[in-house]
Amino acid sequence: MEEVQKRSVCSGINFRSIRDSRFKTARISINFLLPLKKETAAKNALLPFLLTRSCKKYPDFTKLNEHLAELYGAELDADIQKLGDVQMLSIFVSGLADRYALHGEKMSEELSRLLCDVVFDPQMSDRLFPEEGFEQEKRQLMETLDSEFNDKQIYAFRRCQEIMCSKEPYGLSRLGTKEEIKNLKRSDLTAAWEYMLQSAPAEIMVLGNCNPEPVFHSFSDAFAKHGRANIGNYKGCVVRKAGETKDITEKMDVVQSKLVMGFRTGCAEPEKAVPAVKLMSAMYGGSPNSKLFLNVREKMSLCYYCSSSFNPIKGIMFVQSGVEKKNIGRAKDEIIAQLDDMKHGKFTDEEIDEAKLSLCNLYHTVSDSLEALEGWYLSKTFSDPLCTPEHEAETINGVTRSQITEAAQKVELDTVYRLTGERGKFK
Amino acid sequence: MSEIEKIKSARTDDLYYTVNHPSGLKIYLYPKKSSSTFAIFGTKYGSIDNCFRRSDETEPQTVPNGIAHYLEHKLFESADGDAFVRYAKTGACANAYTSFDMTCYLFSCTSHFYDSLEILLDFVQSPYFTDKTVKKEQGIIGQEIRMYDDDPQWRVMFDLLGNLYHTHPVKIDIAGTTESIAKITPELLYKCYNTFYNLNNMALCIAGNFDTDRVLSICDKMLKPSKPVSVERIFAPEPESVARTRSEEKLPVSLPIFELGFKEPVSGGRASSKELAETDILLKALASPASPLYRSLLDDGIINEASFGQQYFEGPGFASVIFSGESRDPDAVAERINQEIVKLRRDGISRKAFDCAKNMIYGSSIAALNSVSNIANSIISFAFAGRELFSYIDAVAEADADSVMARLKTQLRPETSAISIVRPES
Repeated sequence: MEEVQKRSVCSGINFRSIRDSRFKTARISINFLLPLKKETAAKNALLPFLLTRSCKKYPDFTKLNEHLAELYGAELDADIQKLGDVQMLSIFVSGLADRYALHGEKMSEELSRLLCDVVFDPQMSDRLFPEEGFEQEKRQLMETLDSEFNDKQIYAFRRCQEIMCSKEPYGLSRLGTKEEIKNLKRSDLTAAWEYMLQSAPAEIMVLGNCNPEPVFHSFSDAFAKHGRANIGNYKGCVVRKAGETKDITEKMDVVQSKLVMGFRTGCAEPEKAVPAVKLMSAMYGGSPNSKLFLNVREKMSLCYYCSSSFNPIKGIMFVQSGVEKKNIGRAKDEIIAQLDDMKHGKFTDEEIDEAKLSLCNLYHTVSDSLEALEGWYLSKTFSDPLCTPEHEAETINGVTRSQITEAAQKVELDTVYRLTGERGKFK
Repeated sequence: MSEIEKIKSARTDDLYYTVNHPSGLKIYLYPKKSSSTFAIFGTKYGSIDNCFRRSDETEPQTVPNGIAHYLEHKLFESADGDAFVRYAKTGACANAYTSFDMTCYLFSCTSHFYDSLEILLDFVQSPYFTDKTVKKEQGIIGQEIRMYDDDPQWRVMFDLLGNLYHTHPVKIDIAGTTESIAKITPELLYKCYNTFYNLNNMALCIAGNFDTDRVLSICDKMLKPSKPVSVERIFAPEPESVARTRSEEKLPVSLPIFELGFKEPVSGGRASSKELAETDILLKALASPASPLYRSLLDDGIINEASFGQQYFEGPGFASVIFSGESRDPDAVAERINQEIVKLRRDGISRKAFDCAKNMIYGSSIAALNSVSNIANSIISFAFAGRELFSYIDAVAEADADSVMARLKTQLRPETSAISIVRPES
């Protein structure tokens, strides 16, 4: 594997690549970074899905998909994520490396050309995307929101984030609301597309078994042709203190109740204290050997899952669990009690070493998957774009006991969210 | 001495070794340049094995539903502590799962691989069940069952399996019910353990960065030879027909979800690598995003790209093709799929559709070899089904349209199809 390389394509457009012939595939993505705002969330979210539906060269959904099928089922898809308060619009292609094509096709050239085609050369008439595809993608985006409601674990987690971060962009839906999507007009999408190409910063990632040079040149030619101006520069906000605890219970006809608790940790990347928070969260609820797993699940038998996760960009930590309605209070008390133990340094040196091993194992595994590598480097965009997982592992290993306790002491409970129901109780 | 055979694949540049270990265990070793190494130790024993007869006994035994999964949870505990606690010393990321026909224990790691391997081989061979430890698990698994009760995807699948199958235990929830697991005792767990966790009924697969000789010497040290006992799985006869053609359930969902299944007759063994490859190609030709069917469903606004899919659901004594997704009109989707199947039977597959479908399956099979966990999971499930991974990939690359069409003789028959739908409550 080669080291990660970073260069600039043009103003605001960065290019990172890792060439690695251990993979049988290549993955190329362009990820546009826009401020997450209520007025623009829905149109920005729709845009990459609309772009990957067809393009001037393959003007029809079926034609485009036949082309992908011929390229050994290459994948062309879009995704919307939040990187803190930034809305990231991703468009990616992934497919076999040249070596494995059965008829000598130049796969990585094909993939890179296709990605540029859909991003820069969409099918348009009178500066509008085709009506039929536009309506289809609107419907599908609204159905994505419906489907997130169907999964109660995801739904409860999202509700807690919304309530906790209601005064920050992060509290907004990454896709906008159904109402906002429904009200979009085709001209909104033209404007969003033009703004994205002209002014949005973007991160291009080229990973795996392919030569990044031609990809770099394709993108620099395309951006040069399109022109860039008024490049945006967005950063998120970090709320350090919790204030008064928000406590919300919502009812639904569910069998198992969900408990989600949101905490402010008082620090975010790239601050020096972040590795200690990561380690603290791992010891607290990050593995089957963590305090939450061993106590709330194993000792008290209250749940099947109870775990913590830390978002280093926003400096917030969540604990999630699925419990019987009558046990929510006991579970919550125990979750708080275990955090108090962390604050008071009630943990062994062994627990520290074990959490370090477990986290480092995860970091060292990143280089085995192109999706994981892409996710890793994109998450580091605003803090340290060339920070390798191996380097992060070293930093984690340097964290001391007192740093862990200090990190825990800064943690403040911000929001308690419960989704409760008793469906089937008297069955 | 172990007997070792090398399996090479010119198409993929990869190779692995199969080892017949003197203990009775089949071992698969797939060396690969990778930061992590993945090991999986499994038994051909899953939720459907609730009635069986050992070769050294005359009477069949029936056990409570959900016991294979319960056993998986309890095996992590031994007299001297929990396996997760031991793995914590090596940093390995460990887990386990129970499916319809197998139970597997696995870990992945980037260091201390041989120590983790010893932990894996040790705890899976060291059952320890007491009244107290068995009782404790009822609360945890009870919550796991209740989590699935709220999962509309899980509900719609088991509703469908209940429609398709009259007697086959594939229609029973893998974890059982709160009532069935209340009947589980240490004695029953030992009975199942001693029957199915016999090395002759198990396999070990390792993919990634390791030294073959060192792995084999650890196996020599750790594996306890099993008695040559075999086990017969007993299933009540399953009629060719479906139990019922439809079911509907209401749950808190925003959009209806459906599964449409086509049951096929099963006699004797499992589908071969070649048959599996042909079915996979057939289903892509019929319903991939490049197909006319997909386009018409999308144009009518009755499927979405995020959820619509199809799979070949196949195991001991059961086989069905299942289409699934979210839809505001599931019956219209079912009708369109049925029409397209009629058309496929009548007109055959076009050259273009066949080539597209074959390329898609070939591409995804090669891409799956990027991941050590994919490789090891595939090899072990193929091993329990009597199939081999590279022959599957070769069968895809060499498939011909006539053999693919011949699969329709037993597959996608409208007379043995059923649908299940989960609808919003109000």
